[in-house]
Amino acid sequence: MNPFFAIWKKLAGSRVGRSIFRVGLPESSLGRAQAMVSSFLLHVHPAKVHRHSLKFSYTFGLGLISIYLFLILFVTGVLLMFFYVPSTDRAYSDMKDLEFVVSTGVLLRNMHRWAAHLMVLAVFLHMCRVFYTAAYKPPREFNWIVGVCLFVLTLVLSFTGYLLPWDQLAFWAITVGTNIAGYAPVIGEKIKFVLLGGNTVGDSALLRFYVLHVIVLPGAALFLIAIHIWRIRKDGGLSRPDEPDNVLQQIETGSMPTNKSYGLMELAKGTSPAVGINPEDQVSAWPHLIFREILLFMATLAVVLFISLIWNAPLEELANAVHPPNPAKAPWYFLGLQELVAFSAFWGGVVVPALLLVALITLPYLDFKRRGVGVWFSRERKVAITIFTICVVAAVILTVIGTYFRGPNWDWVWPWKEQIVITH
Amino acid sequence: MNNKSSNPAPAKNPRFKRPEASPARRRFIWLTLGWAASLFAVIACGFASVRSLIPNVLFEPSRRFKADHPEDYPDETFTFIEEVRLFIVRKGNSYRAVSALCPHLGCTVNLTAGEYPFLCPCHGSHFQENGDVVSGPSPRGLAWHFVSLSKDGRLVIDMDREVNHDKYLIV
Repeated sequence: MNPFFAIWKKLAGSRVGRSIFRVGLPESSLGRAQAMVSSFLLHVHPAKVHRHSLKFSYTFGLGLISIYLFLILFVTGVLLMFFYVPSTDRAYSDMKDLEFVVSTGVLLRNMHRWAAHLMVLAVFLHMCRVFYTAAYKPPREFNWIVGVCLFVLTLVLSFTGYLLPWDQLAFWAITVGTNIAGYAPVIGEKIKFVLLGGNTVGDSALLRFYVLHVIVLPGAALFLIAIHIWRIRKDGGLSRPDEPDNVLQQIETGSMPTNKSYGLMELAKGTSPAVGINPEDQVSAWPHLIFREILLFMATLAVVLFISLIWNAPLEELANAVHPPNPAKAPWYFLGLQELVAFSAFWGGVVVPALLLVALITLPYLDFKRRGVGVWFSRERKVAITIFTICVVAAVILTVIGTYFRGPNWDWVWPWKEQIVITH
Repeated sequence: MNNKSSNPAPAKNPRFKRPEASPARRRFIWLTLGWAASLFAVIACGFASVRSLIPNVLFEPSRRFKADHPEDYPDETFTFIEEVRLFIVRKGNSYRAVSALCPHLGCTVNLTAGEYPFLCPCHGSHFQENGDVVSGPSPRGLAWHFVSLSKDGRLVIDMDREVNHDKYLIV
């Protein structure tokens, strides 16, 4: 037995160890199940998982990666709060202090910024994965909606975080963003006024965005993440193809047999995790799931650390209300939107995003036939896949155009030609 | 139903006997009142929370700005005033104040040497000398603000008052 394992076993099995871990290190199937059920931190997992759910090529771990990035953002964000005061006098110099005065301050800020970018990417790819594997079909419709809300929250969290450094990018991104909100019909101007706490991007706007960024939105995200994970368990684990010889049975609630001792089982509604599963297709979550999760966390952290050690998070000049940078560009994930807005603020900034959101939310209720569930790019879903792919490709093209093909005054440029840089 | 309601009002009929107040009705009334009161309390709290977020006092620069004397601005020029982000345009003895805020998404427009003097760097809206849009995504032209003279003979610009593109201050 390897010595680390022996030490761990001794500690976990000691009087104190058992008081903490409740059950010792698992040595049998029963113990493995107990380890999952009796631990607060592990009990969100099932005791046993389906082999299909462990296939990396099915999920690419994107949901977990999103959660890990959220965790990294949470920790680095709390640490950054120790060094940041949300006022127009202090904010920018606090950024400089993080760089030059605070030990590892640069690393913290880099990790926070890059993890935020990666999280937007991971959440978006996770949504694509769920779509292309038809994982939003019944009984998982509502969890898809929770996911859409989390996607929007991710974007808003990153948007509110943008203002905080009080540099040029911050000031102009928020100016443009809140003006887009102002185009919303009827209440647009009011929303803009309340968001900014005034008519211009100033101290009250900074404070409002700060409070939204550090407590309101993360709190909402945490709440929705909890529901998202809980629903995965209640909806029968990750989506997977139906077993050919097991007809999925729906258990109705309401009629409690009084003559049976296992009556409580009947309370569970819908497809319980045990329905439609062959016992031989299941493996213990400990160690198969747990160790994969730990490995994935290590990989995520490694990538974030690697990026943060090599590239510094951008910080432009101090915010200047007189001279917008030219071109004034939002972060890459908003450049598709900015490209649309450059055609028309109302259509591109309000109507198109609103329609996309409505389409995403109503999707699982319009496309609810259980076809192609658990399979990537199922041929039975040609229409849905085509429509979704067109939207994704359009978003990617717009983003690429906004990122590489737009120069000063938002004029078309060829990225491989020499650029004229206009500095003010 | 209609036949019944066409009967004379029962309260005026001396032979009408008041029905016993039924427990079910009493229960219904109390429940309705209780729920209505709770709902009112929750809505009132919600209103109070939202209302507190709408500022009553703005700690921003005044929306009325006192500029220099009219003769301090050379003839046929656009003078940019940084604090309030607008241009004071003088033509002979006429003065106007053209906002530098692009009506599209609020970027500050730049003066350019080209055919049209105002250009928004964010999304490329061009504006004519009088503020009208020539090209680009801006839905409106640049706003003109109301210009007046103070008692000590200086220009005063009221940014809460927009005027039509034919209203100058003639000094």
